[in-house]
Amino acid sequence: MELEMIFAIAMFITAIIGLLGGYSVALTLGGVALIYGLIGIGFGVFPEPLLRSLPSRIEGGSIMQNSTLVAIPLFILMGVILERSKVAEDLLHIASRLLGKVRGGLGYAVVLVGALLAASTGIVGATVITMTLIALPSMLRQGYDPKLATGTIAASGTLGQIIPPSIVLILLADAVSNAASQAANQMGNASFVVSVGDLFAGALIPGILLVGLYMLWIAFNAFTRPERCPPIQEDDSDPVQLKEIIFGLGAPIFLIIAVLGTILAGIAPPTQAASIGVAGAILLAGLRLASDKDKKLSRLIMAALASAILIILLSNNLDMRAAADDHSAIDLIGMGLTAIAALTFFAGLVAGMLVLHRNAQLSPALKSGVNITSMVFLILIGASLFSLVFRGFGGDDMIADLLSAIPGGKWGALIAAMLVMFVLGFFLDFIEIVFVVVPLVAPPLIMMGFDPVWLAILMALNLQTSFLTPPFGFALFYLRGAAPEGLETMDIWRGAIPFIGLQVIMIALVAAMPALATWLPSLVR
Amino acid sequence: MDPSVFLTLGTTLKWLGIIASPLLLLPLLQLIIPKPLHKISTAISQAIDRLTGWVLAAAMVAAVALVFFQLSEVLLAYAYGWSRTWLSELVIYAFATMFMLGAAAALRDDAHVRVDILRPRFGVRGRAWIELIGIYIFLFPICIRLLALSEQGLTRSWLLFEGSRESDGLPLVFLFKTLVPAFAALLITQGLSEALKAALNLTGYREEKPANPMEANHGA
Repeated sequence: MELEMIFAIAMFITAIIGLLGGYSVALTLGGVALIYGLIGIGFGVFPEPLLRSLPSRIEGGSIMQNSTLVAIPLFILMGVILERSKVAEDLLHIASRLLGKVRGGLGYAVVLVGALLAASTGIVGATVITMTLIALPSMLRQGYDPKLATGTIAASGTLGQIIPPSIVLILLADAVSNAASQAANQMGNASFVVSVGDLFAGALIPGILLVGLYMLWIAFNAFTRPERCPPIQEDDSDPVQLKEIIFGLGAPIFLIIAVLGTILAGIAPPTQAASIGVAGAILLAGLRLASDKDKKLSRLIMAALASAILIILLSNNLDMRAAADDHSAIDLIGMGLTAIAALTFFAGLVAGMLVLHRNAQLSPALKSGVNITSMVFLILIGASLFSLVFRGFGGDDMIADLLSAIPGGKWGALIAAMLVMFVLGFFLDFIEIVFVVVPLVAPPLIMMGFDPVWLAILMALNLQTSFLTPPFGFALFYLRGAAPEGLETMDIWRGAIPFIGLQVIMIALVAAMPALATWLPSLVR
Repeated sequence: MDPSVFLTLGTTLKWLGIIASPLLLLPLLQLIIPKPLHKISTAISQAIDRLTGWVLAAAMVAAVALVFFQLSEVLLAYAYGWSRTWLSELVIYAFATMFMLGAAAALRDDAHVRVDILRPRFGVRGRAWIELIGIYIFLFPICIRLLALSEQGLTRSWLLFEGSRESDGLPLVFLFKTLVPAFAALLITQGLSEALKAALNLTGYREEKPANPMEANHGA
């Protein structure tokens, strides 16, 4: 075997051992790569200019100027602000009050709330923890089987990964799009572009079907073993207030229409829609948290919401293009009104932020937004250093050869790649897998003839499943951390198993019927 | 203004960094002779943490700016059909500033992802050792390498006051590129603080704060 190959393999193994040490994943990946790169240069088997290109890679279009990934901090900010506006709490309260009277009702409530949160915020850790803190105690009090209760919560929490807008799908779009153009280059044909919008559209039907499967499983339990999920007996919780319904149900639905609707209808690209989502989250959080002292601020926020509608109406009915020079008087008035409305809108945003600040929620939200974003992008930097060196040793060709050598043709290769991702998903976060593994396995798989969008959706479903799989699934960790002490960890693990079965059914369905993932994107395009 | 002023400034900063670099050995000295050093180690670590706090505030401002710039771009394009490169570049600049300046704070707040399988079994001392080793063999080498590698390009960029390639772009590419060495320098500084904390833990002059699972940051 050639020296480069040995270095590539040794580097991979060192990285895995290093990662198990528990130091920062991003720095471990980057550090191991740097050490091997320097050794390789010493042995004369690694091209030195490759390492020298690191600063320009960080500055360039793949990291610091990557306009696709601008959507990531925006969606993260939207999520952390919405988290502060108690939308999850309100939703759970309403849904359990409305559905609690039927068998399995609290289970349905958790699944529906998980789906709504997934479509509006999509941060898995926060969703699982909130639902564990609020829904789990009341489920256990009603006499739910702990296994069914925890399984439902963990699975519904992971919906945030598959139901758009989701961070995983944005990262996957970036990685798979690069892989697709790389594959197209090598095959010498025209490149197929994979956009974030494509993946959002592609994941929608599988996501909704998953919600349906979860509900069916709970219904099946309610029908065959009603003692596992009894209805609410006595009513001791507070009645639902109108304000809660308006904000609890209205806020997520409004945001889903504003963000997901505009993306799927092709009105705005995901990054732009995400900024609208952040604005919506700030305004809604401001309204929700405003106390009686903040009357003026809430009025300003209402005015901002109204001006958003005014701007949409005006620009759809008038020609207000700044470049045109033959505006009628009405157009000019419209342009003036739009300017006033835009200023009102921004004033409303400032008011919303002021309300958040008065409730001591603004700077914690911004802080965790910055921390999560920095965490994602530091991994991107570390992982790109890792990929750079791995490629420098010819590791990508090795992976491609390995995949084509697997018996069973392209399906064998696909299953092998999926299994590797699934197993890695036990101990790596999806971010590392998308940044390190997808760029290596996706180009050969696409060259074998798999559709990039379909492939990405399968990978997303796969990663979501490994999030849920004991003993190392992240959703289960979050749940364990927030669940009462008395709950057996074994029950949490066993509770997840039926839902993993449902996930496998879903993956098989998408694999057998690619149209589930590719039909909607082809309509949107 | 004459670019050579900035060149001198850059060279001065570089030499200041080289002169200050023996400080990176302080955590190791703290391990060897804990008693006389623990006060100064604690003081330096706390000062760095405060500095990182200010940088975090700048990153938070960038986050708010990102939202406002992106919204302005959407509004202007949608209502008036008006778009300019400089506005899109402002979005990108705010975006990059947010995480390039935020990385050090994420290190301080332990927001970076770790593999948690074996970690709980290592105990407090084991974890402190891993922190120390990780900083010396991974963090410092990456960041020092990055600093060294970015020197040449940065010098060229500042000499030209490099601007956008587009005629209606921002003339600030040289500042944008400065984010890379700033990121590296901030991470080295915060890495020193983390190494000092680990060394203080190991020598018994500091207690490891218990982790709060509710504040877990990852799982985006």
